[in-house]
Amino acid sequence: MSIMQHNGGSVIAMVGKDCVAIASDLRLGVQSLSISSNFEKIFPVTERLYVGFPGLATDVTTLREVFRYRVNMYTIKEERAIEPTIFTQLVSSTLYERRFGPYFIEPVIAGLQKTPSGSYEPFIAATDLIGCINFAKDFVVAGTASEKLFGVAEGLWEPGLEPEDLFETISQTLMNAVDRDAFSGWGAIVHVITKDKVITRKLKGRMD
Amino acid sequence: MDVSFALTGKGYVLVAADTTAAHSIIKVKSDVDKIKELSPHLLMAYSGEPGDTVQFAEYIERNIRLYQIRNTYGLRPQSAASWIRRSLAESLRSRHPYSVNLLLGGYDVSTYTPHLYWVDYLGTLAEVPFAAHGYGSYFALSLLDRYHDPEASLEEGIATLRRCIDEVAKRLVVSPGKYLVKVVDKDGTRVIEI
Amino acid sequence: MATAGGGAYSYSLTVFSPSGKLVQIEHALAAVSSGTTSLGIKASNGIVIATEKKTSSILIDDSVIEKVAVICPNIGIVYSGMGPDFRVLVSRARKSAQAYWKIHGEYPPTKVLTQELANVVQQATQSGGVRPYGVSLLVAGWDSHRGPTLYQVDPSGSFWAWKASAIGKNMVNAKTFLEKRYNDDISLEDAIHTALLTLKEGFEGQMTEKTIEIGVVTVPSQGELEAGKVEGTGRYKPTFRKLTEEEIRDYLAL
Repeated sequence: MSIMQHNGGSVIAMVGKDCVAIASDLRLGVQSLSISSNFEKIFPVTERLYVGFPGLATDVTTLREVFRYRVNMYTIKEERAIEPTIFTQLVSSTLYERRFGPYFIEPVIAGLQKTPSGSYEPFIAATDLIGCINFAKDFVVAGTASEKLFGVAEGLWEPGLEPEDLFETISQTLMNAVDRDAFSGWGAIVHVITKDKVITRKLKGRMD
Repeated sequence: MDVSFALTGKGYVLVAADTTAAHSIIKVKSDVDKIKELSPHLLMAYSGEPGDTVQFAEYIERNIRLYQIRNTYGLRPQSAASWIRRSLAESLRSRHPYSVNLLLGGYDVSTYTPHLYWVDYLGTLAEVPFAAHGYGSYFALSLLDRYHDPEASLEEGIATLRRCIDEVAKRLVVSPGKYLVKVVDKDGTRVIEI
Repeated sequence: MATAGGGAYSYSLTVFSPSGKLVQIEHALAAVSSGTTSLGIKASNGIVIATEKKTSSILIDDSVIEKVAVICPNIGIVYSGMGPDFRVLVSRARKSAQAYWKIHGEYPPTKVLTQELANVVQQATQSGGVRPYGVSLLVAGWDSHRGPTLYQVDPSGSFWAWKASAIGKNMVNAKTFLEKRYNDDISLEDAIHTALLTLKEGFEGQMTEKTIEIGVVTVPSQGELEAGKVEGTGRYKPTFRKLTEEEIRDYLAL
């Protein structure tokens, strides 16, 4: 069994109309034994940017601490909030620093990017465990249920979803995908990021 | 193989660990204390590779004490757990990682709340209502799923803990004989006779 | 205070005098003041930095002397003082800009690069066995966060943002001249002419495209910003560039 599957867990992000959503399950396990049904893997970076860390749970916490440090340093030095594109580069370079002894995490990034005209446009991306970036226009998935997430998202996602519809789409995609995965599930958390606010909801799924 | 359990209740955390020291298939001691009192309101049950366990537990114990001496105030449970987790996470990617699993039970005297943390040798940290390590966990966790009540009184909590211990005694082939049980609450830590 | 292995000279040469001055830094400033004049002017749509390029002998091939240096596509610097010290700082700055690019995927904002340079300069006032840098710098750049900005860095490591400033031999006169000439909505074209006029004050000998150097920051248009990276190159259009000799000749002719 791969170390990427040791603790289980999945993350997905989707683009909507002037909004993005990012969601994950809440399970923490050790192989097939479940330890916690309240283990969050998605963290806020700025008011309009979130990052999810599916993979080995110890590295979830470590990377959260690493990026909290690096983003805080960036914010203080540059006197500005980090933008999603720059944060994605930061994630990539941070992971590549450990090219030959990696963190076992495949980050998923979702946020709203400021445009030169002052408006915001949706941004999502994912990287592999050594920092190779995958920019996507529709959705990105990662974690033990990634194959299932791909399948369901491919069927449910459509362009131009409003925040409420995007919430429904990402929630249904995640819940149905993790039900087919023994290592993900035990409830979920969904964040929908819009220009003025972030809507966060916890979902109960099959708790078995 | 070590067995340890812990559960939270109304204003307390109960922590239990077996008292066996074994070399291979031989029991060499049956009165070992595997629950350290890190501070007046923090308990740590440790299990894993013999040698690593005591070495690591003493390192943590002394450093938590040092922090208290330097800063007058000790670390609160969440901060202590975070620092201990980091010690294990850093150790994991060193040349000789500690292989130690922990249960941290603490009572936060500033918020008057009990906290329980499940920590493994990888540096995985999770705050949970109840937890277990070792072969006992396969029996205890399902029992605790059914019987745990975060609002239970100490007597009820002890009764639930008894169920776990009895179940392990009944079903586990290599079950340990005796357990040491400690509790942490607003009054500090103490041993509970069961 | 000795660093390990530093031997007899591992203490800082920059030490306080009883009156609280760091005399070494004052000497460094004197070195700057005897250097050739450089200046920078911030305009409404850009920045110009300029310097005179004087050689001690007509036999020197001045075509390879570089006093205005490109650090990265959005930042350039010019100096007054000691040429060799400047070269060291240029290579430090370029390395720093590339290191920043490797982490963030874009070049540093002017302030961050300036701060980095100022730190290098400051370190030389406190480290063992070294002397302070004998240069003042003018750093001009554009970034999306602060727009066009002009900074000056001194041998002490202190730095300020300017609307217009001058350093080197003629700095006092040049600054007075700039104070008279400057206004907030001056255009880049006008600023370039003002820069030339200012340099001409107290210029020894003939001012030609061979004896001055000019660098300009141009603020990208909204259209250019929205278009993003330039087709084919995969890069953003540089916002800092050095004027060619032909361009300088044209400006001098006017």
